[in-house]
Amino acid sequence: MYALELASATKRYGRRHALAQVDLAVPQGTSVGLLGANGAGKTTALRLLLGFVRPTRGAARLRGCDPFDPKARRGVGYLPERLRLPAAMTLERFLRVHAALAGLRGADVAREIEAVTETTGVRDRLHEPVDGLSKGLAQRAGFAQALLGKPEVLLLDEPTSGLDPLGVRDARGWIEAARARGATVLVSSHQLSEVERTCDHVAILREGRLVASGALETLVQPGETLEDVFVRAVRPS
Amino acid sequence: MNAFRVLAAEAFRDGLRRRLAFVVAITLLLGLAGAQSCTNLGGGLSFNGETLDPHVVGGFVAPLLFSMQALTVLSIAGLLAADLLARPLAEGSALLWLARPVSRGAWAGARLAGALGVTFAAGALLLGGTGAMLVLRQGVSIGPALAAAAATALGSVVVASLAMTASLALGRSAVTLLVVIALFFVVAANATGFAIALLGSDMQMGSILGPLDRYGPPLFRAILAAVVAWNPHVEAGDVYAASMLRLGMWAGASVALLVAVFRRREIES
Repeated sequence: MYALELASATKRYGRRHALAQVDLAVPQGTSVGLLGANGAGKTTALRLLLGFVRPTRGAARLRGCDPFDPKARRGVGYLPERLRLPAAMTLERFLRVHAALAGLRGADVAREIEAVTETTGVRDRLHEPVDGLSKGLAQRAGFAQALLGKPEVLLLDEPTSGLDPLGVRDARGWIEAARARGATVLVSSHQLSEVERTCDHVAILREGRLVASGALETLVQPGETLEDVFVRAVRPS
Repeated sequence: MNAFRVLAAEAFRDGLRRRLAFVVAITLLLGLAGAQSCTNLGGGLSFNGETLDPHVVGGFVAPLLFSMQALTVLSIAGLLAADLLARPLAEGSALLWLARPVSRGAWAGARLAGALGVTFAAGALLLGGTGAMLVLRQGVSIGPALAAAAATALGSVVVASLAMTASLALGRSAVTLLVVIALFFVVAANATGFAIALLGSDMQMGSILGPLDRYGPPLFRAILAAVVAWNPHVEAGDVYAASMLRLGMWAGASVALLVAVFRRREIES
């Protein structure tokens, strides 16, 4: 059973193919960087994996189940690309609700909130409204909710968006910590250097098609960088 | 169940935090002020030179006033429901909730429960206050008020579910307008149909109002059937029970429709 799987997944919006026959299988404990130019289908792939949209053809599976089934989303942490936090809710309340939905109970809730806010550096913002946080702090708050309950699968869409260099370094640490405890991580990003540092596999999309995928050390030849591989894969021949 | 409870409580809080809550509060104040003035008629009313018994006056004032207040509650249900599901979807905050192990049905149901929670709280204040004033000042019995409140609660489920379903396809202003127009037609159809039934007339209603009264949600008919009990000259028979049964079926169907439509909805924000 794969932690994440797209099997000939096609998603069409009208006549436009957002994804076309994509096959991607991510074993548990692997960290994958999902790369591609704007509009290549990265966010659509994440939405298929989370059950937000249904494939036009093919299938998406999350932890071996149909992602539309709520059970599939147990132990999954998600950070969307355009993070919108709920209006007029304190960070503590926001995290409490997410902790409850993640299945945490009793004293575990307070303990987990304390741990993730300490890790992500927003502990002193617990009593502030989340919609009043700066972009960088909101992204840290988003990370905090994604990390609640030590998820087995982390889906991160442009996770370093809005973070300052210190935040980017911190985010790298959070992803590496998740990997170290055996979580499966899928990072959709334009930050090739970050993907290179945090992922052991990459998958590159071009116009909805998977044009390259594999372990970093096999895709990136000696003397090359991930950027070279990326440019070669996405630039029309 | 626990996830539903958490989400419903959050939706209720969300409903109270929205600026719409301010509009609801103003509506409540105006409604209660109206009830205060309508139930505080000073002096005696005379008709053809005869002073009318205050209980007879109450038999006309109470049904009219209470049914108008009930309509206000139904409008509040539609207004809140038009916003409470569609807004987090449009803003994008719904993505975080729906990425959790929560079914679409539970989330939509929780948002509906939140809208209904605020509506019921507002309805309890408005109908409770109005009912209390009518009972204490006009000397009418409490029974019809309770029956009409139950009809209003069930009607609110229908209005809120349908408004929420419509909000998945239309903007808030369009849904609000739709709620107002739909309520207007249902009230016209139900009031006319009810009057025809009471008079025992064989008069037929037009091609829109007739079917709407016969097959549509008897939102106003159930309320009218309850409150006319305050008028000793009117006998509604089993109209209330029949209307509540049909309203209950409409409530179940409306909630099922909302869940079915939301399950098919693609989350794209």
